[in-house]
Amino acid sequence: MNLKPQGAGKSILNILRNNTVPIMFIIICSICIPISGFSPAYLLNEILTRLGRNAFLILSLLIPIMAGMGLNFGMTLGAMAGELALIFVSDWQIWGIPGVILAMIVSVPFSVVLGFICGKLLNMAKGREMITSYIISFFINGVYQLIVLYLMGSLIPIKHSSIKLPRGYGIRNTVSLLNMRQCIDNLLAIRIGGVKIPALTLLIIALMCLLIVWFRRTKLGQDMRAVGQDMQVARDAGIQVERTRIISIIISTVLAGFGMILYLQNIGNLSTYSAHSQVGMFCIAALLVGGASVDHASIGNVFLGAVLFHLMFIVAPQAGAKITGDSMIGEYFRVFVSYGVITMALIMYEMKKRRQKASIGEQLALAQREGSRHE
Amino acid sequence: MNNTRKWVFRGFTLLVVLAIGAVMFVIGRGHTVYIDNKTLEYNGETYEALQRSEVYVGGERLSKLAKRERTMSTVIGQSFEMKLINTANKGDEPTEVTVKLTLPYGWDGIVVNIPGYLAGLPQDAWMTEFVSAPEPESEEEEEPGAFEDEIPMGDI
Repeated sequence: MNLKPQGAGKSILNILRNNTVPIMFIIICSICIPISGFSPAYLLNEILTRLGRNAFLILSLLIPIMAGMGLNFGMTLGAMAGELALIFVSDWQIWGIPGVILAMIVSVPFSVVLGFICGKLLNMAKGREMITSYIISFFINGVYQLIVLYLMGSLIPIKHSSIKLPRGYGIRNTVSLLNMRQCIDNLLAIRIGGVKIPALTLLIIALMCLLIVWFRRTKLGQDMRAVGQDMQVARDAGIQVERTRIISIIISTVLAGFGMILYLQNIGNLSTYSAHSQVGMFCIAALLVGGASVDHASIGNVFLGAVLFHLMFIVAPQAGAKITGDSMIGEYFRVFVSYGVITMALIMYEMKKRRQKASIGEQLALAQREGSRHE
Repeated sequence: MNNTRKWVFRGFTLLVVLAIGAVMFVIGRGHTVYIDNKTLEYNGETYEALQRSEVYVGGERLSKLAKRERTMSTVIGQSFEMKLINTANKGDEPTEVTVKLTLPYGWDGIVVNIPGYLAGLPQDAWMTEFVSAPEPESEEEEEPGAFEDEIPMGDI
């Protein structure tokens, strides 16, 4: 009689424990939205724009998680590949949707090479993939700076002076993408009551989601899941673990490159030296806000995370300004929340792992005790 | 056999992607077309600017050009079409002309002189490449902000 409510209470507690971060964000947003005073139409408009801008990038994180490689901070590499492609396409003066498509095609070889390097290095650091990929992104950022700052315009031909630094080589701080700005967002855009729905962008994201769902069912997808669950068992089952892990990182890097191109076509300009620097961090934070963890993430987490994280981004500065009279409080708030969420998710993941280990240990001890009692 | 089929499929996919890239390269080439209503000197002859010229691109009025004025339009691809409603002299009846041009692939900016075009001159007389003036040397050279220690949050 007593067992049922206890079980229900336990399951509610489990739900709360497993969804601490999204619940916390829902509470923050529900407090901040009325204080900020933004109209529902404005918020919806902003959310849809930001969803279209960021969802593809966040989706690129799912496959490495599936392969048990954790949160791929190395997605920054794909972002850099996308930026390199956009610099070339801008110099070739290919505009509009053809420019976006060409940039995606050009980014693929860069992404594949960078993804391969990243995958190889991560295979050498099994169990420490996240910190390794984070440091790799810094390393490749240095190589990117070298290429963009010194080699482009001197060794790598760049024709247009609007892109080059006045000294004759190197790329300017900002490359204008005005001629492809929101070309995908505006095509087939639907306007309902002042809310612009970027239908084509959302359609591309929906197709990407379907592709991920399909991919999970393929042989390679199943292999990745097996590798993610237990590498040793997967190896014994004849799966080429290292190869599978490298492929997962390559796919993630290529998708991150595409995502970065979609992101930048929405923004309309490219901050050559800093656009990619925080992309990984914010995408990972958004995914974690959506309730994902280091070893489990779903498409639902991507969308919930993108909505909640960006809703907080929109309302926090205004709410901060209304409460304290200083909008900077809100700015600081959203910065520390981003990092805080990642820290909290990592700590919770470790705690969960330890709890699981402890419970397995307890079960073993119980089994041993029962066994000795029977003897 | 299976392996051969796999490689054939991969090769075919690569070819398709390259073909798409090549098509995008051609159809996506952007140009800026500058449309001038300026007096043109060619082979010792003078072709006077029009009193007024209304320029329509894509069904929308781009500009109403008086003498010595210029307007511009951007175009993706190599074909450019505009409608001109011209008044040669004060008091004249306006005439409508549809202009269809094939733009040279290699030129970013293209200057089209209306009086020269209307006079039926050869293309090199009324279509020239736009060359922007060299940038004045600024004392403060732009420094790439690669090592800024701030968190760029604005465009997220």
